[in-house]
Amino acid sequence: MQAWISNFRRVHFYATLCLISLTVGACNSNNSPESVNVSPEAKEVKAEQQDSAKKIAITVTDKGCEAGQITADAGKTIFVISNKSSNPLEFEILSGVKVIGERENIAPGFVQQMKSNLTEGEYDLVCGKLSTPKSKLIVKAASGTDQAKAPDSSQLAAPIAEYKVYVIQETDQLVKNTKTFTDAVIAGDLSKAQKLYAPARVHWERTEPVAELFSDLDNRMDARADDFEKKEADPKFTGFHRLEKALFQDKTTKGTKPIAEKLMKDSLELQKRVASLTIEPKNMVGGAADLIEEVAKTKISGEEDRYSHTDLWDFNSNVEGSQKIVELLRPLIQKANPDLLKRIDDNFATVNQGLTKYKTTDGGFVAYEKVSETDKKGLKTSVTTLAEDLSQLRGTLGVD
Amino acid sequence: MSNPEQPMFRVTPRMTRRDLLIGMAAAGGVAALTSLSYRTFFSTPEETTEEKVPFFGVYQAGIINPTPASALIAAFDITAKNKADLMRLFKTLTERIQFLMAGGTPRQIDPKFPPSDSGVLGMKVFPDNLTVTVGIGASLFDNRFGLEHLKPKHLITMTSFPNDQLDPNLCHGDLLLQFCSNTAETNIHALRDVIKNFPDLITLRWKMDGFLPPHTLKKLGKDTVRNLLGFKDGTANLDATDSKLMDKIVWVQPNGEEPAWTTGGTYQVVRVIRNLVEHWDRTPLQEQQTIIGRRKDSGAPLGMQQEHDIPNYQQDPKGKHIPLNAHIRLANPRKSDSGLILRRGFNYSRGYDKAGQLDMGLLFVCFQANLERGFITIQKRLNGEPLEEYIKPVGGGYFFVLPGVKAEEGYLGQSLLEGTGV
Repeated sequence: MQAWISNFRRVHFYATLCLISLTVGACNSNNSPESVNVSPEAKEVKAEQQDSAKKIAITVTDKGCEAGQITADAGKTIFVISNKSSNPLEFEILSGVKVIGERENIAPGFVQQMKSNLTEGEYDLVCGKLSTPKSKLIVKAASGTDQAKAPDSSQLAAPIAEYKVYVIQETDQLVKNTKTFTDAVIAGDLSKAQKLYAPARVHWERTEPVAELFSDLDNRMDARADDFEKKEADPKFTGFHRLEKALFQDKTTKGTKPIAEKLMKDSLELQKRVASLTIEPKNMVGGAADLIEEVAKTKISGEEDRYSHTDLWDFNSNVEGSQKIVELLRPLIQKANPDLLKRIDDNFATVNQGLTKYKTTDGGFVAYEKVSETDKKGLKTSVTTLAEDLSQLRGTLGVD
Repeated sequence: MSNPEQPMFRVTPRMTRRDLLIGMAAAGGVAALTSLSYRTFFSTPEETTEEKVPFFGVYQAGIINPTPASALIAAFDITAKNKADLMRLFKTLTERIQFLMAGGTPRQIDPKFPPSDSGVLGMKVFPDNLTVTVGIGASLFDNRFGLEHLKPKHLITMTSFPNDQLDPNLCHGDLLLQFCSNTAETNIHALRDVIKNFPDLITLRWKMDGFLPPHTLKKLGKDTVRNLLGFKDGTANLDATDSKLMDKIVWVQPNGEEPAWTTGGTYQVVRVIRNLVEHWDRTPLQEQQTIIGRRKDSGAPLGMQQEHDIPNYQQDPKGKHIPLNAHIRLANPRKSDSGLILRRGFNYSRGYDKAGQLDMGLLFVCFQANLERGFITIQKRLNGEPLEEYIKPVGGGYFFVLPGVKAEEGYLGQSLLEGTGV
């Protein structure tokens, strides 16, 4: 299982936080002014091409920014800020009240640089203290085609917040369905438990990349027998798939009570952890692709639900979860690369069309073994195409 | 390993240094093209097929001599019934390997019988740089042959690490044969020879083929082989020509904690590590690089200039350049000698899985005098690394490579079976 993610993401948390605040430069220590010489003539605001990022020199005096209004092109920009005032200064780019980028504590006489990826719009500049009169920064749409169209990371804040809500709701639903499912298992009601197995997993599968951030829970709740040395006989093999084996292969609920209770306990634990989880841009944007990678790896092969053959349920839920993310990011993708969005939409439609054929009247899916080889191949093709396109998302949206 | 583009000139995959110098002089415009240098560049294929690694030595071949382009690893269960059978196996195996590594003409027999040799290499067997390295697994030290008390101290049956998905049909074994040579056919020839000669004593358990790019092998020292993730692999590997280092890291030394018979042997780890290449190929380059810790193009550690620059982790304690959990940082934290190994890995490719995804990756092989301090320590550090999302160890095992055979009358495993020590 993907035990690595939690550690990995935790380590990268700091770096990503900086990214959200947009200025990679601001992650560097503010106490180490770079002694970049800015010529005294740089009183006028100049933009020059260098290393693809344009430099804009800003001179700050006791009265604030020398230039009252600065115009810049959208894209990567380096602000070279010279503090010619007598006090340490703060440099901020504000969009309304939101800080898009900042550099603090530039000592008098020092020059510091701040990198920013500007998007079209009007901003306020704080040069000095917060009380110093603000200057205007007007960012024009980039003219050249080679300009970065990636949205600035702050634009991801809203979709991420919405996604968090979605994840919480799905986890709540997971807890609810797991309760009725495990209750049936514990009560020894075999046929009821069999019926409730696939529906309980729907909500796990929709947000699988998030659930997998908790490798311990993932291992206990969703590991397959292959993950263990003694395979199905391994005592560490627990969770959904262990119950699946009991219900569909052994056709009994005998001896499964502790496993059912543990699964219930773990899903409550997941709910608790999700509530306080910080979802990073990469978790969400990359999640759309990760969900489809899951399909490509284990659902297409019928390995996921090998005893119950309810793979199409999981398949469909992964697709739904991925599509949800694309929905939330839609305006940003549309702006950055409308062609890509069109392709993704078309591919989702193709995949969903393939799935519809195997839907049952009660809202579920037929057993995976009933899917014809030709259709499996068709599903595989559309899933692979989708995976390729979704792998472009992070780059398109400029998410590290 | 055929080269359909230039069948006529598939001739100099392994030039000697002298050939190279002469050739360079000619290419540099020294006088006219002499017949000598002409021969050098357009020589005959036999030159590589006659390349030979000596069989006799304190250590077995196939460990510190340069890695050729082709490998085949085969694990067997030993079906010998008693210790006498086992001795017969190792004595005859020694003879066969000696013959195969030296080359020669197989016995001619009445054509009414099946031929004594598969004929894969033609009527005369050529050495083609072949080495066959013999190792034994922990299972050989069960009660079948009365060898329990002689088991190397650290030899165990490989256990599953958290990211492993071990396939029982691709793991362990009583006996491991590592075939390395210039071509796949030479390895196959040798394998078939062994299988044909011991129908009653061994039965094949699993096998994996591996390969390396001959064009890069020719430039070793100046270039490094890339693995199937597209990254240079082996940059920081130990210098196998440094015999002091090899004594320290690779070869079991006398008078240590190990049984006397093991001196001159080494622990061999084989891991079949599948790379989930489709997913990897859909992963942003910068993430690939932070996962590995090196630049994909140059192989330089992140934040450094050259492939062989040595990362200074003390100056990067927070992992600003090379993340704390980057593969190279966990694999070799450059702290002390603990956890050094000599690697001898190959790429593999063997079809595809049920989901229609490619089944390829790394046939990882390493040698060390102390299994616990070597591979196991390193793998424990790697547990949970970000790379795990893209790799899946599915097979392999731990083995002990027998000491070498020093002279004609000896045989592989003699010190173990006769307690002669070394």
